[in-house]
Amino acid sequence: MKRIVCLVLLLCCAPLPLAAFAQGMHMAGMAHEPELGASAAFDSHGELWLVTVRDGHVLLQHSDDLGKKFSAPVEVNRSAEKIYDEGENRPKIAFGPQGQIYVTWSHPLAGPWTGYVRFARSLDGGKHFSTPITVNHDLAKITHRFDALAVDGHGRVVVAWVDKRDEVRAEATGKPYLGAAIYYSWSDDGGKTFAPDRKLMEHSCECCRIALAREPNGDVAAFFRGVFGDNIRDHAFAVLRTDGKPVHPQRATFENWNIAACPHQGPGLAIGSNGVLHGVWYEASHGPAIWYGQLDPGHPPTHVLKIGGPGAGHADVAVHGRDVWVAWNQVSAKGYRLMLRVSRDGGDTFDAPRAIAEADVAVYSPQLLVHDSHAFAAWNTASGFRLVAIDSATKDTP
Amino acid sequence: MMRRALVLLLLCCALPVFARTAPLEPLSAADVPALVKPPARGERIIALWALDCAYCEPNLAALVKLQRAHPHDIRLVLVATDGPATRGAVAARLEHMHMTDYPARLYAEPNPERIDFLIDPNWGGETPRTLVIRADGTRVAVSGELTPAQLRKIEPRRSER
Repeated sequence: MKRIVCLVLLLCCAPLPLAAFAQGMHMAGMAHEPELGASAAFDSHGELWLVTVRDGHVLLQHSDDLGKKFSAPVEVNRSAEKIYDEGENRPKIAFGPQGQIYVTWSHPLAGPWTGYVRFARSLDGGKHFSTPITVNHDLAKITHRFDALAVDGHGRVVVAWVDKRDEVRAEATGKPYLGAAIYYSWSDDGGKTFAPDRKLMEHSCECCRIALAREPNGDVAAFFRGVFGDNIRDHAFAVLRTDGKPVHPQRATFENWNIAACPHQGPGLAIGSNGVLHGVWYEASHGPAIWYGQLDPGHPPTHVLKIGGPGAGHADVAVHGRDVWVAWNQVSAKGYRLMLRVSRDGGDTFDAPRAIAEADVAVYSPQLLVHDSHAFAAWNTASGFRLVAIDSATKDTP
Repeated sequence: MMRRALVLLLLCCALPVFARTAPLEPLSAADVPALVKPPARGERIIALWALDCAYCEPNLAALVKLQRAHPHDIRLVLVATDGPATRGAVAARLEHMHMTDYPARLYAEPNPERIDFLIDPNWGGETPRTLVIRADGTRVAVSGELTPAQLRKIEPRRSER
């Protein structure tokens, strides 16, 4: 009988370590599924840099031939940790004025919707990175994620993120709170330390990326999905002040998409040297749509153009001089096309949409890069990273 | 004494086996036509949700309540739009929500856009998304946490009961 009891015990317990192991694999961010969240950027010398995620590490690579060959990856975080790298989350990269390399990512905690914003820097051209630090000073185990990274005209490192401290505080007192909030911080010492967290706007969307861009005067500005009135998921624009002056977020899109949901699609922003705010955004008040418009914070945007409908998503925008590029993913039953529209008159008019790349595997959101007046689309796919030169395909466009 | 201990042990061991009656199955692009095929009777409610989506839990709870009110006319399928790397987290969340009795699927592609489009081309991926497919082939699709009025709208029609 004792033997039977032992056998039953063994049979019953055997699946437990396996299940725990499988769960642990995921929780440690060790899953070996394709991880598509990636960011690319050109440095001032035209070197292309790429950050991706694998096995709990942000990996940095660079290419001196426009993405044909990449260097061996360097681990930004030596110690593996969980990293958000799907949906609207991806690691970010930016450069300081003396060639510093800055990297941020969002690190999930144990509970759902929780996270910390993480930062590391390299002062030796990406050979070594500092031990990662947590940017958000509020260390409650709640949402601080969907990080966004930029460097302002004075070399300050500016980081913004989606934060739920106000929602948690309101709920603790029994008050309803719509959405989350946008917080930000900055570093005056090249990423060694960060200023105390500062609130940009209450009632933001909880699960959409924040777009950052630099204004002509060097300030960093944000374009992000807010929650206005009774769950209207339009967008807001605000300059991230680092001079102690009050912030002034303003509603910038007015489709009145009223929905208690996570759109999982944040906007894109590019600011011209003339100060024109070029925005792209998704909404579905009358069916899924991607829009382009020139933002006039506090008022509806001008030059509004419907870029895409069903199947169009995750658009980005870039500007250089009078050239404005909009790229987005267009999905169909067959797979994905990377689509492009180009304006040669500062965004007043755009040419017809055209496909500049295709994929029959999963793809990540496209990212438009400009270097030396040339535009490129960075497109991470399950079969590898692609840098698509788009100027050559559009030179003939009137 | 030993026999009683054995029965107790067997019972304890059997509990985890019965905890999930419906396994978490992958949903690939090729699986979508079967998922959205009209049911023989009543309606199939496809509850699309995501780990990141705080509105999804109460929406799932409301759909479970609706299904329990119409057990013979509603087949509820829970579909997580997160990719295959999130399998452990999705399974854990379903357990946490006590929703292991319903058929559950998880997108088999790391990017949801293609499967989103195949399920419903007029859906941009926002969650929660509720897709009702009736035996007569008609569909009702709603994005966002369902309001009481919307829940009433997706109840099985009298003629289909």
